[in-house]
Amino acid sequence: MSLHLLPQFIVSGVTNGSVYALIALGFCLIQNATGLVNFAQGDFVMLGAMIAVSLYQAWGLALPIAFPLAVISVAIIGMLLERGPIRWSRNRDVLTLVMVTVGASISLRGAGMVIWGKGERMLPAFGGDTPILIQGAAIMPQTLWILGISCLVLSALFIFYRFTLVGKAMRAVADNPYGARLIGISERRMVALAFAMSGAMGALAGILITPLTGMNYSAGLMLGLKGFAGAILGGYGSTPGAVLGGLLLGVLEALGAGFISSAYKDAFAFLVLLAILFVKPAGLFGAEPAKRL
Amino acid sequence: MNAQRPDPLPHQGPAPGPSPGEAPAPNPPPRLRPQPRHALAVLALILLALPYALGNDYLLLLFNIIALNALVVLGLNLLIGCAGQISLGHAAFYGLGAYLGAIAGSTWGWPLPAALLFALMLTGLIGWLLAVPTLRLEGHYLVMATLGFNIIVTIVINQLEPFTGGPSGLAGIAPLQAGGFLIDSDRRFYFFIWGLFLVLFAATLNLTDSRVGRALQAIHDNELAAGAMGVACHRYKVRVFVLSTLYAALAGFCYAHYVSFISPKTFDIFYSVQVVTMVVIGGMGNLWGGLVGAALITALPELLHRFEDLHVLIYGLILTGALVFVPRGLVPSGLALLRRLRDAAAATPATDAADAPGVAAAWAPPAIEPAPAAALPDSLGSPGTVLEPLLTIHNLSKHFGGLQAIHQVSMTVASGEMVALIGPNGAGKTTLLNIISGLIEPSAGRLRFRGTRLEGLRPHAIAALGIGRTFQAVQHFRHLNVLGNLLLGYHTRGRAGFLGCAWRSPAARREARRIAAQARAELRRVGLEGTAEHSVDQLSLVQQKVLEIARTLALEPALLLLDEPVAGLNPRESEQLMEWIGQLRAAGLGIVLVEHDMNMVMRYADRVVVLQHGAKIADGPPRLIQRDPKVIAAYLGTGAPGEVPLEP
Repeated sequence: MSLHLLPQFIVSGVTNGSVYALIALGFCLIQNATGLVNFAQGDFVMLGAMIAVSLYQAWGLALPIAFPLAVISVAIIGMLLERGPIRWSRNRDVLTLVMVTVGASISLRGAGMVIWGKGERMLPAFGGDTPILIQGAAIMPQTLWILGISCLVLSALFIFYRFTLVGKAMRAVADNPYGARLIGISERRMVALAFAMSGAMGALAGILITPLTGMNYSAGLMLGLKGFAGAILGGYGSTPGAVLGGLLLGVLEALGAGFISSAYKDAFAFLVLLAILFVKPAGLFGAEPAKRL
Repeated sequence: MNAQRPDPLPHQGPAPGPSPGEAPAPNPPPRLRPQPRHALAVLALILLALPYALGNDYLLLLFNIIALNALVVLGLNLLIGCAGQISLGHAAFYGLGAYLGAIAGSTWGWPLPAALLFALMLTGLIGWLLAVPTLRLEGHYLVMATLGFNIIVTIVINQLEPFTGGPSGLAGIAPLQAGGFLIDSDRRFYFFIWGLFLVLFAATLNLTDSRVGRALQAIHDNELAAGAMGVACHRYKVRVFVLSTLYAALAGFCYAHYVSFISPKTFDIFYSVQVVTMVVIGGMGNLWGGLVGAALITALPELLHRFEDLHVLIYGLILTGALVFVPRGLVPSGLALLRRLRDAAAATPATDAADAPGVAAAWAPPAIEPAPAAALPDSLGSPGTVLEPLLTIHNLSKHFGGLQAIHQVSMTVASGEMVALIGPNGAGKTTLLNIISGLIEPSAGRLRFRGTRLEGLRPHAIAALGIGRTFQAVQHFRHLNVLGNLLLGYHTRGRAGFLGCAWRSPAARREARRIAAQARAELRRVGLEGTAEHSVDQLSLVQQKVLEIARTLALEPALLLLDEPVAGLNPRESEQLMEWIGQLRAAGLGIVLVEHDMNMVMRYADRVVVLQHGAKIADGPPRLIQRDPKVIAAYLGTGAPGEVPLEP
């Protein structure tokens, strides 16, 4: 047992965890607006990173310009996904719509392979490569950036939901689409907005994680699944649950990989997922689903 | 819940219906029903001829993979299409079958049958362990659990190198053999695997068209109502899930012994998604569709190979396009198109008799023959004289959080007694029915039905005890026709299980014939004989309500819970329906009637129980209730003069 490494594991867990939290939030936004599980969420992550790479490397844009542009592009792609296949779908059955997002995910992955090839891509770390030593843990400046930006996004989201009219309208649509329509809220616009926001959230996650781990056309799948597991761990559809679930998942995964076996790193996340489904299926912070007859 | 709004019955036929028994049964509308036996024979012939027509053994390899996938899809289709449950982990079960079989057979040197049994049993056990806790919950927990499970299995296969060979795979798996006959070439495997597939396909087709298949379909359509019909929903869902994992494991076992080399890549989450895609593309719940889907999706990457890097993108786009534009699946949509073309060709003005809406004719109450239920006790005395109570409720309470929905209610219902449960909206009437029928657990109190305690029993067990119920909004099973809906009522009277239904054992066949004859007789008796093959949506509201009650009566209940049976009906229909219900009561059934129509309540009920804010405020014969000041206050507010409230 290498207990002195604990701070290091926690730091890396929280870092990955905040990225999972962002991805989980993307799932959560779409779940609340439409009741769908968006399997293309992981591919938003990949796209965000890859577009940023292209803008930065091929077009030579400065990082502070390339990143927001990449986020906006993926937000638009997210909106197009909703405006296009999901809205055109003649069958409103949830399973069919979820399968449409699976199709979209494969398409996006295929497009990623065509555009960026199969190789690994990198982005430079935001704050250089010199680690800062605190309490025996080496912290990369990138880690601080990830934490800072995640906190910023979370606060912005909180303010958006709590204090803006659009945010409230979105919650209204999530709660009762029919009632929201009756008082003049455009459900379609809110759903499109949710897809755009979730695309932006995914892109941000991708851009933040790439300097640490790199990115390739198919890496979105596992990241998306981890975010999904985080969302369930916290309580599917709950915003604070998604954040805490993502963070917790990152930490548990880092501890499992560090203390038990790094070979099974990816398995821990899903073991935690199975355990929570068996023990407390509503998630740690989700409300028990009310049964309506 | 799917609101079935009362429509004002647009089709009013001539006054009294045709006397039962005389009217010739109209021909069912023309349908393009695939004749399973003929279609199967054709399929078998084509498959038999194929290898001789092809000549190319590479294509045989493709067809062999199609058969393996089709086998996995067959089980998955049963799960998704019939039971409405989704699994994103079938690659894991496919992989478990392959690896367990290969390790037992080749590494440990077990004989093939033992290895097969080992692989099937262990996979089934794991599937069962996964399904029992997750299927107890509503919602899509099974998807998440299977998805997580799939990823874990892939990682474990990758890591357990001593057993599985890790990422580089397991090689040198011996080919299958049957009685000394080695299945070691593409051609031999082709005949073996397609033969196996056809047998299982036929058995699964049998299964879907049987008591078990009907129950599974009912669970998919309307789990609530299925439980009320005595279908043990959880048990069925678990069983069908385990069955589908066994199909996958069998396919995996055959795969491993066919290709002789397996690696974890084959069994990752992508394959799980692929098989679900095959089901959805072909048509959920349509086994032929699953076969078509498996063939198309398996062949598609082969066809797209020459596009090289573009093939993933094209595959994704085709998949998305098919889902968006042919969402019901290729086979059902194709059949619908054929049917439309045929109808268009045959649409001569003279042959429009079987036009759909024409079904909704007038309905006359059936004549009640002696007693509809064998379980009736000998309490056919004058109604209202309480002999021994059938149902006793003692100090029942239910609260949802801080809301007291039912507060210390006590009441009894005797055989041959109709107790009306009335009260303003939100008084807790439906909640009380839900507690009796087991949909809601009471917070406190006792419920006894002929001495048996009902607390803690699941809805299907309560239904099997002899408590039938109908719902406020008529609950039917959309994918079953009128006869199928009624047949479901006989579920508890059948015994045939998965195996009996799949292999059409003589006992299962006898039972199916007996129950079908009973159901047809019942349909005739309640005046719906002409509609047996129609979809329930084509019935008028009153016919739907009659069907729902007839279905519930098929349970042979001793107690019938009716939740607003006449709501939405016009006065004449209400009268007819209540007349019929009155006859059922006279035949000895105990009835609890929740109803807002005070005229009906006062005319038919033997006793009236009044609820307000979850508490019982009055209990007595209708005459006294009408004059009870507390009741009048509850309906009209305090201080109103003693006029009978007609409508709450």
